[in-house]
Amino acid sequence: MSDIFGTMSAAQIHQGLASKEFSAAEMTDAILSGIDAADKSIHAFLQVTPDLAHEAAQKIDQAIASGDFESMGPLAGVPCAYKDNMNLRDTHTTCASKMLENYVSPFTATCVQDTLDAGCIPVGKTNMDEFAFGSTTESSVFGPTKNPWDQTRVPGGSSGGSAAAVAAGMVPVALGSDTGGSIRQPAGFCGVVGVKPTYGVVSRYGVVAFGSSLDQVGPFARNVHDAAEMLNAIQGRDPKDCTSQQSAKDFTANLDEGVKGMKVGVVPAFMESEGLAPEVKNAIEAAAKHLEDAGAELVEIELPNAKAAISAYYVLGPCEAFSNLARFDSVRYGYCDEGHKTLAEQYEASRAKGFGAEAKRRIMLGSYLLSANEYHNYYYPAQQIRTLITQDYQRAFEKVDVILGPVSPCTAFKLGEITDPATMYLFDMFTVPVNISGNGGMSVPLGLGKDSSMPVGAQLICPAFGDENMFRVAAELERCYGSNTVAPDFASAAQANASAGANASADGSASAAVSADDQKGGTR
Amino acid sequence: MKKYVSESDVADMAEYARIGLSDEELPKMTADLNGIIDELQVIRQYDLTGVTPTFHPIGDLSNVSRGDEVKPGLTHDEALKNAPKTEDGGFVVPSILGGEK
Repeated sequence: MSDIFGTMSAAQIHQGLASKEFSAAEMTDAILSGIDAADKSIHAFLQVTPDLAHEAAQKIDQAIASGDFESMGPLAGVPCAYKDNMNLRDTHTTCASKMLENYVSPFTATCVQDTLDAGCIPVGKTNMDEFAFGSTTESSVFGPTKNPWDQTRVPGGSSGGSAAAVAAGMVPVALGSDTGGSIRQPAGFCGVVGVKPTYGVVSRYGVVAFGSSLDQVGPFARNVHDAAEMLNAIQGRDPKDCTSQQSAKDFTANLDEGVKGMKVGVVPAFMESEGLAPEVKNAIEAAAKHLEDAGAELVEIELPNAKAAISAYYVLGPCEAFSNLARFDSVRYGYCDEGHKTLAEQYEASRAKGFGAEAKRRIMLGSYLLSANEYHNYYYPAQQIRTLITQDYQRAFEKVDVILGPVSPCTAFKLGEITDPATMYLFDMFTVPVNISGNGGMSVPLGLGKDSSMPVGAQLICPAFGDENMFRVAAELERCYGSNTVAPDFASAAQANASAGANASADGSASAAVSADDQKGGTR
Repeated sequence: MKKYVSESDVADMAEYARIGLSDEELPKMTADLNGIIDELQVIRQYDLTGVTPTFHPIGDLSNVSRGDEVKPGLTHDEALKNAPKTEDGGFVVPSILGGEK
């Protein structure tokens, strides 16, 4: 039974609850046992929260019984997972680091609270690169997450656990955070939808900070509509985050409008980039053609300063991280190496043992870049380049409604394949410019690459606070490429029933089909 | 590869960042940082004369203050709950100046 829920969209689960096809308790049990089974191989979760899930499910069932459910909105009863850098009261928030291994949140992040207020059922916290530093989830101190499409490959990162959980059908939706591509890249690698909204659309309060001028929270889902509903729930001004902006849009509003008359920007220089895999290039070109066939006008644009984005990002990110990670002082919370004579020794030993290699590298880099001798060589010019990159986008969006391009230059790499940090950073070339300028971007699945047979993602970039534009184009791509795809090893025969927007039902025939597959997948 | 930082520089930076680095870790960290800093040189080759820096994507930020009213917050116990060591309702730290406690 868990496989049926595993392939259902958030909308289908909500609908099934509304029509009393199943109870929230029944569905939650099935989702939790589905996580239990699939996560033995995937390791998407650092913590499963059955008590919180059952408690939330009970409230949903009460609302269904009392007739209040209908007024609760489209996310009521939808199971959701959270990246483990988001505080959820009384759960661990580890950031996949030894530093916070035993930290228990005394409060709840605004974005998490928003989903709970919308009626989501919290099922757990997901794996990530330590403190979100990375693109593979391999730097998690608790071990890597595997890509559900091929378990010898990485799911991407840093929100790799959230992406993999959604791709393997463990949850229909999850939240992640994106500082340089950490939602879009794992979404691309795992073949799901991942949205980094325009900076300021979503509150960052209660999300452990990495780069405060770059971080933005956003949803993962297996279809565009579910992702839009999630963003509807978490958007808006939060008095606890002064960078959050008033926003009360319905991002589902234009999903059926099609793209006729829209102008879609393509960047020829991106498509000629050194290192862009042919299968990714072909997939993006095919997607552009689809949009053109659907009535969009393709417009060639230039983003001439994007070539400096990686360098600027790896200045700004580490500088902000250096500052943000100074809070881990081994005194108020976090790992403490005890038995030292002086506070300075305790700081140095605790931070040496509590932080992993990549976290240390970024802190050290920030320390160097912000030093008096180097500030004017790197940090200040990087902020000037931010101006140029932002102006590039402003000029481009005078001509187009959205920009289409690759998320990553290649599909998911093998676990352990890339070990040199500087080489790893170059894979962020298409995602970091968007964080630098603050524009929104999202990843939409384009099916499998011809050479690697792994998912390829298209990146759609929108004007600042024009996020609805990219949702509209994403919906068109979804009409071409399909939706609700679960990685084959985790999809059952029930998937045919659940896919392409068909209203799945947990009826006898579908259950029988799942049972047959259970033997193969070893579910429960 | 060009050397931007020496092992001795890296040792100084580690002290500033309060991260104890062992003698064994120092060469690898130095090599890693030199490799990364080399990738950052692109921005030093830019002519940025007259370009205003953008320190934040939201340009018109200002400090937010709220009225001086009592609002729900963490209790004393909650605030101390994650502290490695507490005593009499406070955080415990070793000597700050290096003398005996």
